[in-house]
Amino acid sequence: MPHTIEKQRHIIDFTLASLLRRRGKNGALFTVYTLIVFILASVMFFTYALKEEAAQVLKGAPEIVVQRSLQGRYAPIPLEYAAKIRGIRGVMAVRPRLWGYYYDSVFLANYTIMTAESIPLPPGSIAIGHGISRMRRAYEGDTISFTGVDGKARNFTIAKILPQESQLLSADLILMNEDEYREFSGLPPGLASDLTLKVRNPKELTTIAEKIVKALPDSRPIIRNEILRTYDALFSWRGGLLIIIMSAAVLAFVIFAWDKASGLSAEEKKEIGILKAVGWETSDILFMKFWEGMTVSLTSFLAGTILAYGHIFFTSAALFAPVLKGWSVLYPVFRLTPFINPGQIATLFFLTVVPYTVTTIIPSWRAATIDPDSVLRS
Amino acid sequence: MIKVTQISKVYNAGRPNEFTAVREVSLTVNLGEVTVLKGPSGSGKTTLLGMLGCMVRPTSGRISLSHREITSLPERFLTQIRRETFGFIFQQFNLIKGLTALENVMAPAYPTGEKFATLRSRALETLALFNLAHKAAAKVEWLSGGEAQRVAIARALINNPAIIIADEPTAHLDTKLSHEFMAIIRQLKDDGKTILIASHDPIVYDSELMTSRIELRDGSVVTAGSLP
Repeated sequence: MPHTIEKQRHIIDFTLASLLRRRGKNGALFTVYTLIVFILASVMFFTYALKEEAAQVLKGAPEIVVQRSLQGRYAPIPLEYAAKIRGIRGVMAVRPRLWGYYYDSVFLANYTIMTAESIPLPPGSIAIGHGISRMRRAYEGDTISFTGVDGKARNFTIAKILPQESQLLSADLILMNEDEYREFSGLPPGLASDLTLKVRNPKELTTIAEKIVKALPDSRPIIRNEILRTYDALFSWRGGLLIIIMSAAVLAFVIFAWDKASGLSAEEKKEIGILKAVGWETSDILFMKFWEGMTVSLTSFLAGTILAYGHIFFTSAALFAPVLKGWSVLYPVFRLTPFINPGQIATLFFLTVVPYTVTTIIPSWRAATIDPDSVLRS
Repeated sequence: MIKVTQISKVYNAGRPNEFTAVREVSLTVNLGEVTVLKGPSGSGKTTLLGMLGCMVRPTSGRISLSHREITSLPERFLTQIRRETFGFIFQQFNLIKGLTALENVMAPAYPTGEKFATLRSRALETLALFNLAHKAAAKVEWLSGGEAQRVAIARALINNPAIIIADEPTAHLDTKLSHEFMAIIRQLKDDGKTILIASHDPIVYDSELMTSRIELRDGSVVTAGSLP
């Protein structure tokens, strides 16, 4: 056994010395390879971390949200629906929510407006998200103007900028008092945007949703898991989209790697001939090529993965954020919590390292099985 | 002892470019001898050397090494015999560019799995035998022709083979270096090595070191015998 280990050490030593001899060629290969792994790993890390982030945030979301549907579209819900729903067995609490969207035609951005419940706001004051503050350069104590439903501008004093930790959801958020919100948005008293429900037993969510629809046929209950599923699909779709776009780059790499790996140069063939002539077995040559492929692909894989980790979790995905986060004018500035799925890392490994290593061995097999006397005739 | 019985080597058999490099050669090489294969270019010297050194399989005939028939052995065993019994000195030196002289010398011993430190010190000692210790860390492409050949000889000796095979070793050397090469051969002969040299250089085949000579022409042996 020590003999075999020592032999493999010699072969690895020789392989490393061989790789260093062709610095330019192997350096270019390493760079391109690393770049590909970096892109794929970045997309994977980012979409997975976003999905996890969304899941974490939605943990605190209501178990059921009830909306009203009119002509198949969303419509404000009458407050008396709350009383009816409260009467359903298993429902602990029903709370109406007021929220809507506001389009800022100057900055071409959409904001979300909600009524403040946990933050006490003096009349005429609002709280805004970091994104809006950044874009409009408006800070605590400043006055900011928005146009209401009647076309008239209203001035609000900024009482608070929402904390940055909740950027993913609050970057574009405006919080205001209920009365001011109704007056600003034109939502009549007696109506709410939707109702949120607390349910005693999570296993009964579906049953309760069915009962709500039965009692109020124009209502549309949305269970939290459905929102999670939607987020999951959305981010997977965006990640997939980016990978499709990048697939051209991946394909170019495959061609490059195949060309590099399959086309042994005359010099490499001669070297294999020399090694065989001086006593290397075919298996030794194949081991050498195996270690060569492993060295290039494994170092590129590790470098690409580490760079992608830094890119996503330290620079907040500076390169891909516009595509992956959303098509909004207001990009939230936030640092993702590192969530890594070992399954994804393994998939990336098997999709990059294994094929490359195999493609370097196959052509060497052909070269390694030729008679060593080719050296005598060179 | 190497005993060759009726060996032939046909390249591209059955094709329009079929070519017989060696035809029905029989000979015996005794251990401790210095044998020269003499003949013009294309006479089959290199092919015969290749077959004697287990690099090329004969198309027909048998070769036995120390009374062991080796022609029919599988590739793995032939490689092992080649590594343990033969040391090769090639016409073009065939050193691996980009590697140091030391790494080139050590290369044939890598598959043996010998401890690195032991192997390294043995390789350095071998280089020192040829006054090349100071060039151990030099890349082989920086060496002069004479130095490169001495590195090639050191590489041939690293596994301490019983038989040294040299193919046109002086083809790329000037007269002075050719004489230096023959001095090394003398040293190897004194060490008890069996030496087989293919050459059409008179410095080699007329050397008093030669104990037997085999003359080839068109793949066949013209004359063979011991030298006085």
